[in-house]
Amino acid sequence: MKVLKSWLKEYVDFNWSDQELSDKLSYSGTLVEEYYPDNKSDTIFDLEITPNRGDCVSHIGIAREVAALQNKSLKKEPLELKMSSQNASSAISVKVNDSNACPRYLARVINNVKVSESPDWLKHKLTKCGLKPINNIVDVTNYIMLDLGQPMHAFDLLKISSASIIVRKAKNGEEIKTLDGEQHKLKSDDLVIADEDTPIAVAGIIGGFNSQISNQTIDIVLEAAEFERRMIRASSKRIGIATDASYRFERGIDSSCVEYAINKAAKMMQELAGGTILSGIVKFESDKEVNFVTFDEKKINNLLGTNLSKDEIDSILRNLGFKVTGASCQIPSWRHDISIWQDLAEEVSRILGLNNIKMMPIPKSTPTKKSDYYYKEYLKDILASMGYSEVYTYSLLSDKDLAEAQLSAKDLLEIKNPMQPENKYLRSSIIPGLLKAVAKNPTFDPVLVFEIANIFNKKNEEPKLAVVASGKSAKESIETLKNNLGEIISGLKIEINEIGREELSRFKIRKPYTYVFEFSLKDISKKMKLSNKDLKLKINKDSIVYRPISKYPSLTRDLAFVIDRKKNSKEVRHTIYQVSESINRVELFDEFASDKLGKNKKNLAYHIYFQLPDRTMDDKEADGVVKKIILAVENNHSAKLRK
Amino acid sequence: MQIKNGTLHPTTQLIRQIVSFFEPFGFDVFEGPEVDTEWYNFDALNVPADHPSRDVQDTFWLTDGRLLRTQTSNSQVRYGENHKPPIKAVVPGICYRNEATDAGHETTFVQIEGLYIDKNVTLSQLLWILDQFYKNIYGSDTKLRFRPHHFPFTEPSIEFELKFDGKWFELGGAGMVHPKVIKNMGLDPEKYSGFAFGPGIERPLMIKYGINDIRLFRSGDLRFLKQF
Repeated sequence: MKVLKSWLKEYVDFNWSDQELSDKLSYSGTLVEEYYPDNKSDTIFDLEITPNRGDCVSHIGIAREVAALQNKSLKKEPLELKMSSQNASSAISVKVNDSNACPRYLARVINNVKVSESPDWLKHKLTKCGLKPINNIVDVTNYIMLDLGQPMHAFDLLKISSASIIVRKAKNGEEIKTLDGEQHKLKSDDLVIADEDTPIAVAGIIGGFNSQISNQTIDIVLEAAEFERRMIRASSKRIGIATDASYRFERGIDSSCVEYAINKAAKMMQELAGGTILSGIVKFESDKEVNFVTFDEKKINNLLGTNLSKDEIDSILRNLGFKVTGASCQIPSWRHDISIWQDLAEEVSRILGLNNIKMMPIPKSTPTKKSDYYYKEYLKDILASMGYSEVYTYSLLSDKDLAEAQLSAKDLLEIKNPMQPENKYLRSSIIPGLLKAVAKNPTFDPVLVFEIANIFNKKNEEPKLAVVASGKSAKESIETLKNNLGEIISGLKIEINEIGREELSRFKIRKPYTYVFEFSLKDISKKMKLSNKDLKLKINKDSIVYRPISKYPSLTRDLAFVIDRKKNSKEVRHTIYQVSESINRVELFDEFASDKLGKNKKNLAYHIYFQLPDRTMDDKEADGVVKKIILAVENNHSAKLRK
Repeated sequence: MQIKNGTLHPTTQLIRQIVSFFEPFGFDVFEGPEVDTEWYNFDALNVPADHPSRDVQDTFWLTDGRLLRTQTSNSQVRYGENHKPPIKAVVPGICYRNEATDAGHETTFVQIEGLYIDKNVTLSQLLWILDQFYKNIYGSDTKLRFRPHHFPFTEPSIEFELKFDGKWFELGGAGMVHPKVIKNMGLDPEKYSGFAFGPGIERPLMIKYGINDIRLFRSGDLRFLKQF
């Protein structure tokens, strides 16, 4: 929602710079997404208002926040109207059939208006707040909405049959052509404003086409009402129309401001369009709700971790419009989001400023028993140490995935409402996802991957470990892995499956040898004997340089260095990375010590992968980078290239 | 010696770092279900029946009436109703959102929930733990700042931003567990208070390493994964 600084100043004085105002609002709960100058003296602030703060979708609402933040009160001018002796009730009648859906309906009549273009100042204000100027009558209704948060509507009085307004539930299938020219079919849950014959507006959402203000309009009926929030939200969703009005009604308006709003609108219209305001308001009104919360300042302090006095808390609440008497607090009519003392604590914390609350540590305590999570992490370390890379694949499968993996839909949990065809079923095995991953990595040989994740079937959800080895020495690798896992997990029976040619081609895997296994990790902590020391999580402390993957092919070079035995291979790796942005990956593939290399020397050998973001790298360029790498490693680590 | 170049997924690595951070404070690691009921994912968390997050365009609903959790917070009441205070748990896990994917949006993502409920747990402690937590990930000169926000399951609710490389990033939400949620755990909200937070895991990794596409995390692309 956009607000103008000059408009806020009509309600509250402040000397803050634009940046200060932006910060003050953002850090008290109404986030300023951006602000920008309108002209030399004005600034537009674009705010994101959370759905609980219906009171803040207006200039007066934001001004109220600014006032509270400065310990000030709002300036709100009393209104005086010039009215004729004729009473409005002689010109229009109002009947509300459903007081739950419409607790308040106020109407005023203005005769003999001259509908025309609005003056520049009004058009300017509306435009800057994102609304389109239409004519001086409609523009005033929109102005009041932005000003006070009260949505309003103006009808052409002569178009209302029998001059009677009836607020009622729609008949099932009843139709209305709305302001936007669209025809809508209504249901009996929708509320309409109707005349004797037909609906003339969908209550709180959008006006009707036929009763709208035109250049020929002479007499108008002005509406200011309150509608039940949930009903408006449901209706707006069902009909598929969301308007500035429905947005505000859904969040709740200020029931104490409805009359002020209709009076201010009438006064403005008379100033801009002439005419005679008939005396009196034709109205239907249920009693206004007055709500109270009881609070104890000790509880508020305990929840926030603050040490505020009762006076300090009371003062914050009073500045926000709460009426505090002892432990009782009357909630302002514009606040629909407050019902418990914790809500008051939030008010106190946001006006105080979260960043002004002193942080307090939480106590240390002895760690609890290690859950299954730790055992799974232990297994991941074993797999990684044997050359397997962990992948995360999707839990969701498409019909195509089912065909590839030859799974039957009837065994799977199904999504009722997928937005995308990829997300139709839940996987009952991790293997298909891993095979897709193998297919995606044609340049790697072998591809050794694993995943630990939950799988799903109709009855239950359980964690599994799945492994795929594909390509060079795949069989040997997966068999060793199987044996190692068998030694640490009691009662484990693993069956290695070879993926057949036909299945490989379904998955578009071009490596001839692909082996898989998968087993359940349910209650894994009961099947492994590990000490707390074994279960301590291993944290990777290496400095990681990430380089985006190019869509162009990469080049590989192998380099081996003879180096002092005490040197760390990871430091050398890091040195290599730093040489050029074109280095995408550096992998140590061999490390051995031998006196043949020299006293206290060892050999370090790396695969180095090169790529460029915008084109294919050629051999000459790669050779140039290789020269720099050799120089850098030799100089920084007193190493020698091994030829 | 032939070197085996196996690697752990960057998400696994960050979760380990986070879990290790919470260990000395006595936090248990709990892994709740990904398929859950509407009760644990929404109702028990005080999410109103007509709240937009329940809409079909946000939540994957199963044909059997259950759903894929939209947040690890589904484990708050699940864990809380089976443990006695002090309740301290972190819940790492996969969450789902029914939407079209692009570089910034993913149907499948990882969150880690933190939950602490006891007598006299305060907002000032929540601010402290978040501050320490992000300093642990990004370094001790990291700056964190807090803004009020609105979530149905916390009161007060906050959002936090992190300064990294001179820029502010919105990282996630947190707050003091709503009294109705505490009540749903079978505890008296006038006696117990607590905090909860549930940051995503992918976003901090993307910020830290300059990863520009969230879909890479589940791409299975070893050129990506083997860099970590």
